[in-house]
Amino acid sequence: MSQTFLDSNELVLNMGPQHPSTHGVLRVILKLDGERVNGTECVIGYLHRGVEKIAENRTYQMFAPYVDRMDYVAAVSNGLGYVLAVERLINVEATPRAQAVRVILTELNRIASHLLWLGTHALDIGAITPLFYTLREREEVLKIFENYCGARLTTHAFRIGGLQYELYDGFEREVNAFCDWFIPKVDEYEELLTNNRIWRERLIGVGILNAADCKRYGVTGPVLRASGVAWDLRKAQPYCGYQNYEFDIPTRQNADTYDRYVVRMEEMRQSVRIVRQAVGAIPDGPIKAKVAKVLKPPVGEAYVSIEAPKGELGYYIVSDGTLNPYRVRVRPPSLINLQALDQMVRGALVADVVAIIGTLDIVLGEIDR
Amino acid sequence: MAAEPWEDELTRALAQQFGSRIERFAAYVGQNFLVAECAAVYDIVEALRDQWQFDYLAELTAVDFPSRPKRFEVIYILYSFARNQRIRVKCSAAEGERPRSVVALHATADWLEREVYDMFGIEFADHPDLRRLLLPEDWQGFPLRRDAGILDMDNRWVQENLGIESGQ
Amino acid sequence: MIALLKKILLVDLLQGLWVTFRNQHPKHLYTEQYPLERPKVAERFRGAPRLNINPDNGETLCISCDLCAKACPENLIVVTSVRNEQTKRKDLTTFTYDTSRCMFCGLCEDACPVDALELTQDFELASYTREGLIWDRQMLEEGPKPTRYTR
Ligand code: SF4
Ligand code: SF4
Repeated sequence: MSQTFLDSNELVLNMGPQHPSTHGVLRVILKLDGERVNGTECVIGYLHRGVEKIAENRTYQMFAPYVDRMDYVAAVSNGLGYVLAVERLINVEATPRAQAVRVILTELNRIASHLLWLGTHALDIGAITPLFYTLREREEVLKIFENYCGARLTTHAFRIGGLQYELYDGFEREVNAFCDWFIPKVDEYEELLTNNRIWRERLIGVGILNAADCKRYGVTGPVLRASGVAWDLRKAQPYCGYQNYEFDIPTRQNADTYDRYVVRMEEMRQSVRIVRQAVGAIPDGPIKAKVAKVLKPPVGEAYVSIEAPKGELGYYIVSDGTLNPYRVRVRPPSLINLQALDQMVRGALVADVVAIIGTLDIVLGEIDR
Repeated sequence: MAAEPWEDELTRALAQQFGSRIERFAAYVGQNFLVAECAAVYDIVEALRDQWQFDYLAELTAVDFPSRPKRFEVIYILYSFARNQRIRVKCSAAEGERPRSVVALHATADWLEREVYDMFGIEFADHPDLRRLLLPEDWQGFPLRRDAGILDMDNRWVQENLGIESGQ
Repeated sequence: MIALLKKILLVDLLQGLWVTFRNQHPKHLYTEQYPLERPKVAERFRGAPRLNINPDNGETLCISCDLCAKACPENLIVVTSVRNEQTKRKDLTTFTYDTSRCMFCGLCEDACPVDALELTQDFELASYTREGLIWDRQMLEEGPKPTRYTR
C-alpha cells in the first residue's frame, strides 16, 4: 500500500455482543486498517450457564434434558451424543428399532439446523427471501418433532437405552411426505442463490481455510469437508447403525464460503436420502433396551463423539460408580470452529466478517454452555 | 469391567522412545489411552503428531480428583485422519504444577487450555495468552473444581456487577 | 431483439408474480393468528402440568409416592401426604409445582406410576407475579384458565 502523508491509526471496532449477525451474544473486537481487518479477538461467555457443573449434581437420566439447551438448533443431535456416551459407559446398545428412529430424527434435525443456517446466512449477506422459505420448511420438521415427542426445539427425544415414546400413527407417512416435498425446495433455494451474481461475488474466495489449517485448528464438519477432506464421523467411525445406510460425503476443493454453502446444500439432500432408507425399514421390536432405573455406571471414562450438523460433537464422561457423573465434558464443535475465525478474517474486508461468521454456523448456546 | 492392557506396534514404539516416562498403556470400553508423566506430554503429543500422524487434537480437558496426591488429570484426545484412530493421553498434575502448553503443536489448544485454566485453575507454561475464556476476568475461584459447590460461586462478583442478591 | 420483446411483454414481472401466486395457497400459510385463533398443538405436547382426578368420584389419582419429585432434575415438585390409618395408604395433602423453573422435559410424567401427573396441551402459563407461577394442588387439578380473545 502506498504511504500517504496522512498517518493511519489502527481502528478498533467493537462488534456485538448485541449484533444481529453474530447469531447470538458473541462479541468480536476487530482491529481495522481502513476496510481491512488486521486481527480479531472474540469475547465469549455471555451465555455461560455452567452445564458441565450442573451435570455433576444430577443423575445420568436427569442430565439428558440439559444437553438440548446447548446447541438448541440441533437439540436432537446433542441428545444423541449424550445417550450414546452413557450407553458406552454402561455397555448397553439401543434396540434396532430405537436406532432407526434415532437416525431418522437426527437427520431431520440436521436438515432443520442447516435450514436455519441457510436462512440466516443468506439474510446476513442481504438476501431476505431464503429466510422465509427455509423457516417454512423447518416448520415441517419441527411439527414432526412435536408430534413425536411433544416439543419442538428442546426435544429430549432420546433416553438412555433407547426411546421413551413409541412412534405415532402416520409417522412414516409424514416423514416420507416431507422428503418428497423437501427435495424440490432445495432446488428452489439453489435456484435463488447458487448462480446469483451477488451471492457468488460475496462468497467466492472469502474466508478461505485450507485443509492443513482446518486440522491445525481442529475445525470439523462442513467447513472441513469444503476444504477437500472427506471426513465424516458417520462414515469414519459409524455409530447408531449409520453403516447400514448408503450416502455420500459431499466435498469441495476451494475451502471458501461458497464451497461451504454448496457442501451444506448437498448434505441436506444426503440427509433426505438417509431418512428415506431408514424410514422404509424401521424394524419392529422394543424401543428401549434393559437399563437399570438406578443407573450406576462402573468406574471409568469414555469419549464418544458424533457428527453433529456443525462438526464433531464429543462427550467425555467420567464415572466414579455413583449415581451422578463425576465429570461431563462436552466438546462443542462451534467453540472450536469459532477459534479459526481469526485466521479466516485476517486481510478480509469488514463486510466479509459477517459472511465468515455466518459460514462457520455457530450457536452461542453451545460455545458458552 | 476393568481397563485392559493395550499393546500394538504403536505402543511398543512409544514405550521404546519414552521408556518409563509413560506409565502404562490401556484400553477401556474399546478406547485406547496412555498415562504419562506430566513433563513428557508435550514430547509425546509431538511424537504422535509427527511420527504417527495424530494431526488433530480433538479435545483437551481436565478432571479434578481432590483426594489424589496430584489432584488434576489433564486429558488430551488425539485423532489421526490417516489411521482413523483415536488415542487419549492422560497425565496427572499437582496443584500449582504447570504442564507445558501444546499450542505450538496444535492451534486448537489455545482456547481449550484457556478454558481449563478458567474452570480448574491449571496454568499452562508457555501459553501465549492465558486468560479466562468464559467467565469474567475478575471472577474469583475455579468453578469446575470438585470442592466448589454450586451454591458458593462468586457471589461478590454477582452482587457488584449484576446488582442481585446471589448467583442463584 | 428477444430481450426487447421480453421487456415489452413484462416476462420477468410475470415470472415473479407467478412465484407469488404459487405460494398463495392456504396450505402454504404458516403464520398463526394467535390470540384470535389458538394453534392446535400436537397430542403429545408437553405443556401445562395437570394432576388428574378420577372422573367418577372426583378423588385424586395421585398416590403420593413422591416419584415425580425424585425424578425431576430441577427439584421443583413438592408432595406432602399423611398416612390414612383406615386404608393404610397415604393421602395427598399438598402438591406444589413451580412452573417458573420447569423445563417441560417430561421426566416427572414418565416417572408417575399411575399416570396422575400429566403434561397437557395447555400452553398459556404466563402470570403477572412470580408467585402466580407456583401452582398448588387446586390449580393443578383445574388447569390454567387463559383469557379467550374473540374478534
Ligand atoms: S417437566 Fe421436567 S423440569 Fe418440569 S417438573 Fe417435570 S421433571 Fe421437573
Ligand atoms: S409420581 Fe404420580 S402418584 Fe407419585 S406423587 Fe407424583 S403425581 Fe403422585
